[in-house]
Amino acid sequence: MTDPLLQQTLKGVFRLAAPEIALIGTACVVFLFGCMYNRRWLWFAVSLAGVGLAAILAGTVKTQMPAVVTAAPIIPDTAAAFVRWVAIITAAVLVFVSWGEVDGANAAEYYGCLLVAAAGVSLVGRANDLITLFLALELLSIPTYVLLYLPARSKLNQEAAAKYFLLSVMSSAIMLFGFSYLYGLTGSTNLVVITDTVTKAHAETLNPMALLAAVFVVAAMGFRITAVPFHFYAPDVYEGGPLGVVAQIAFFPKVAGFVALARVLGLFASDPRHIPFDAYTQLPLLLWILAIMTMCVGNVLALLQDNIRRMLAYSSVAHGGYMLMGVVIASSLPDVNPDAKNQPGIGGMDALLVYLVAYGMMTIGAFAVILFLSTPDRPVESIDDLAGLGRTHPVSAAAMAIFLFSLIGLPLTAGFAGKLLLFIGAINAPTHTTEMRDLYRVMAIVAAVNAAVAAYYYLRVIGVMYLRSPIRQPSDSRAYPTALAAVVLAGATLFFGIYPQPIVKAARNAAPVPATKATVANPKQ
Amino acid sequence: MSEPISLALVILVLPLAAALLTASWSGEILKKAAHWPLIISCAVSTVLAFLLVGQVTDFATGRIISSPVTWFAAGKLKVNFTITIDALSATMLAMITFVSTMIAVFSSGYMRGDKGYARFFAVMSVFVFSMCGLVLANNFILLVAFWEGVGLCSYLLVGYYFEKPSAAAAARKAFLVTRLGDTGFLLGIFLLWRMGGWHTDLTALFDHIQKNPPDQGTLTTACLLLFCGAVGKSAQFPLYVWLPDAMEGPTPVSALIHAATMVTAGVYLLARCAPLFALSPDAQITVAWIGGLTALLAAFIALAQTDLKRILAYSTVSQLGYMFLALGTCGAISPTFAVTAAMFHLFTHAFFKALLFLSAGSVMHAMGGVIDVRYFRGLRKRLPVTHITFLCGAAALAGVPLLSGFWSKDLILESLTEASESNSPYTAGYFTLLLLAFFTAFLTAFYTFRAYFLTFWGEEKIPEEAGHHLNGAKGGVHESPSVMTLPLIVLAAGALLVGIVLEPFTHWFSDFLGTTPSLGQVRTPSAVSVKGEEHHFNWTIAIISSVFALGGIGLAAVMYRKGEEKLPAGLEPVFTLSRNKLYVDDIYYAVLVKPAEVLAFLARVFDGFLDALSRLVAAIPRFIGQWIRPIQNGLVQFYALWMAMGLAVFLSFVFRITR
Repeated sequence: MTDPLLQQTLKGVFRLAAPEIALIGTACVVFLFGCMYNRRWLWFAVSLAGVGLAAILAGTVKTQMPAVVTAAPIIPDTAAAFVRWVAIITAAVLVFVSWGEVDGANAAEYYGCLLVAAAGVSLVGRANDLITLFLALELLSIPTYVLLYLPARSKLNQEAAAKYFLLSVMSSAIMLFGFSYLYGLTGSTNLVVITDTVTKAHAETLNPMALLAAVFVVAAMGFRITAVPFHFYAPDVYEGGPLGVVAQIAFFPKVAGFVALARVLGLFASDPRHIPFDAYTQLPLLLWILAIMTMCVGNVLALLQDNIRRMLAYSSVAHGGYMLMGVVIASSLPDVNPDAKNQPGIGGMDALLVYLVAYGMMTIGAFAVILFLSTPDRPVESIDDLAGLGRTHPVSAAAMAIFLFSLIGLPLTAGFAGKLLLFIGAINAPTHTTEMRDLYRVMAIVAAVNAAVAAYYYLRVIGVMYLRSPIRQPSDSRAYPTALAAVVLAGATLFFGIYPQPIVKAARNAAPVPATKATVANPKQ
Repeated sequence: MSEPISLALVILVLPLAAALLTASWSGEILKKAAHWPLIISCAVSTVLAFLLVGQVTDFATGRIISSPVTWFAAGKLKVNFTITIDALSATMLAMITFVSTMIAVFSSGYMRGDKGYARFFAVMSVFVFSMCGLVLANNFILLVAFWEGVGLCSYLLVGYYFEKPSAAAAARKAFLVTRLGDTGFLLGIFLLWRMGGWHTDLTALFDHIQKNPPDQGTLTTACLLLFCGAVGKSAQFPLYVWLPDAMEGPTPVSALIHAATMVTAGVYLLARCAPLFALSPDAQITVAWIGGLTALLAAFIALAQTDLKRILAYSTVSQLGYMFLALGTCGAISPTFAVTAAMFHLFTHAFFKALLFLSAGSVMHAMGGVIDVRYFRGLRKRLPVTHITFLCGAAALAGVPLLSGFWSKDLILESLTEASESNSPYTAGYFTLLLLAFFTAFLTAFYTFRAYFLTFWGEEKIPEEAGHHLNGAKGGVHESPSVMTLPLIVLAAGALLVGIVLEPFTHWFSDFLGTTPSLGQVRTPSAVSVKGEEHHFNWTIAIISSVFALGGIGLAAVMYRKGEEKLPAGLEPVFTLSRNKLYVDDIYYAVLVKPAEVLAFLARVFDGFLDALSRLVAAIPRFIGQWIRPIQNGLVQFYALWMAMGLAVFLSFVFRITR
């Protein structure tokens, strides 16, 4: 601890996490005074103020890379900034969305937990250390258990909370097991050190223990990104959980899971020489299988659902599969030659980030609409409950239709831009062996067929909304902030569908495409 | 931005503005007047489109491309908002806007008093917008965006009478079947992007491929994938099944979307991509065969249908097949000639098919929604204007000499003749297709006039439902209001005259379309490139096709002039086969739908099995701990077990492979 640079690095940590500190600080205030004032609007306003403060801090506090990256627990790189903004903006949106289901009695706890979860996601983005990463992931998980249990009104509700808790703990255990191997192998918890050491070791011989660790991490993250067979909780939890929390569970853990996976597998590095598990290690092949399995199972099971929440759960599984394609592409960038002029078009992670944002908008939006239409005595459960929505609630129906079209991936919606980048990335993935490249093409084709099939069950909902007559009284919901969030999200889905450039640019800035040699010029390694 | 570009953008924006206006003011202000925005915008667009046609020939290079505005960019993927105006797109634009105007006027009468009057016109406006965008787009991704927009509008309009379950089912079928083709289309675009120098702009991509010819296999694959999209949209075999069902939509929709515009998008796509297809003889002959088979198959099915609109729908499928036949010769003969033949047929077909559909709509209007030819006959006295206009359309479709259908069909047949005499590797195939096309022409004439005689000749017979239409008495059956008959008359004049004016003597159409630069620059591999494609009128073909057409009409007249269906004994099996649509739908059901249902059933069984298994697993802890039941129904262990097993499988997989 005598090295001044080291000291400076460790002291600078708080500066790097100022917005997260603001979020958690606000949460503490909310928790503390929540027992004294149980007014919904008050905690709504305080939470918004907290999120606003975090946003201001994120925009103003100047940060620089720590002097000793190999010791820094937190790093402020571009990917971290991207994730932080996603977390902050989503937190603001979720505060609005959840207005429809909080009541005075639990408002403080609800909003407090939401802020802590958002801080957790943001921290996952900047964790540079296994310990920080684990803590950040738990910072996301633990408030979620509370949130799921908070409005526990029914058995279904409690069951969902318990299931999520138990399985999440199990996945954390699996993750810790993987982390312990990584530490044992490299003698460090620092991610930069770990990826460097493992990459160097793999240059000579493949270390089976490193591979074991990687598989464990993939499995643990598989729970968060609802990859098959770690997706089982999703339909039950989505069905039983409070809608606002479900909207959060559909998005936050996916962000955290993908980002954490990318961090551990070294996929955010702009230099693919630091990918410790490249195509030689068969990890990309495993991820390939995971992606295909996830999208196929998700879509097929979604086809069978009559409950809209379960359908959206399986749809979210399927979208997790599409996004996994991005990881597969990114983990297959071999044959490094930074000087080569011919760059691969899309690095995988950039496409994934674009898709992630698009997915967040449309999924949270869809849940917001359902939340708006649900009232405690008349919840929206089955798809038939939406019958004739086009006539009873034209605005809600239009917003829902936009989200569903985006989930289908129709052009001029944000979902299309995301899918397009992922598909093109897959078709164009640079690989050193022709066998591998064919696999990527197969993946693109399977994904395209899946996307075509998926249109069926989304379209069914649109059909029910517009082509059937209403079978129940229009809902008299007064959750206007929820409706506002849905409308804003629908507008954003359209806007970024028509003009996706800002997101694409930000994502590519966050995950720069590594330079590699052209595959055409050098088909054999 | 040059003047023609701004003109094109105005044409594009007008229908969109109409859509927004109609949608946002549909509540009170425009409730009764919802048709005005569409009619006005379409009419203005038509005028502008004709101005544009006048300007195209003055372009120095034959086309104008707007300066690209980046839509989004990622690495080598760069997608631009850019439009191109050349003879091809100007022709399409003029055709689309003109036919749309006519149909908009007709619909304002036809749809009057309907519940969703404003919704109908709003969606129609979006449709016109998407279609105009589709033909103007100079970027593949942009093209896909409009392409899907067109499909979406079609979905909304086919499902317009959503109270009818059959309409909702038809809408879904249309959307999903065309999307199946679109999947191939998208993959084709990605493939082209890879081999086309990472361009997504059509012109840049074609230039690149002209300069650096890729290997045949890849190019053929890309072309066939593009063709998949066209097969879906233009209802070709094997994806044509959606179009007849799409007749569940209101008749003006059938006229506009399923006859004149949307279904021609596939033809347009292939015409636009002719520079690519010309380089791949294998792709061309596939296109030609698919087109030829579809033409014959659909014409055969149309023989015995009794639903007037369905007869017309199958005829549309068949005529689109004709257009693909012509496009399939591109490369074996000069692409300019092949594309001109296809586009000219598209152009004339738009007139007479829109006319036929609208006339059918007029009949349906008078018959109180009945459209089955078995329930009415002898309507020529009651509906004099409709009778005459339907006759004009039918004669043009049948290819009666000197009418527009005759001239355009003649061009297609001639392109096939030339292809069979070229030095393409597939001359025998083209010759077979020529014979097929002649036979189809005969069938076309027959079924068209069968429908005509069954509807308008014989003793008068009017269905019960017509009585409810107006005045409550049968005497109330009368000709449609002038707002409906006027467009019919205009279109009828077009169906009669547009062919003879534009092509056989003046060559205006082929000269104009010949200025399209993308067609002129094609280097064909067979290098026959018929120079100076001066259209010599081929008397042999003209006479043969006239004989076939008149023969078909004559036969129909002999069999059906009483307005009743009486079949000679020998023809009964043929008609049964035709009436059952060659059992294609049943085959699809058996081969595609049934297995899917079985699969779904198995999935349910499997689901049940898992459920039972989970119950079994759950039963054990339930005995142990009744008291923790509220939070645990046992499934959790089962899920955890799956997760652990998944992990184990992953590990064994990775290690087995690595070893």
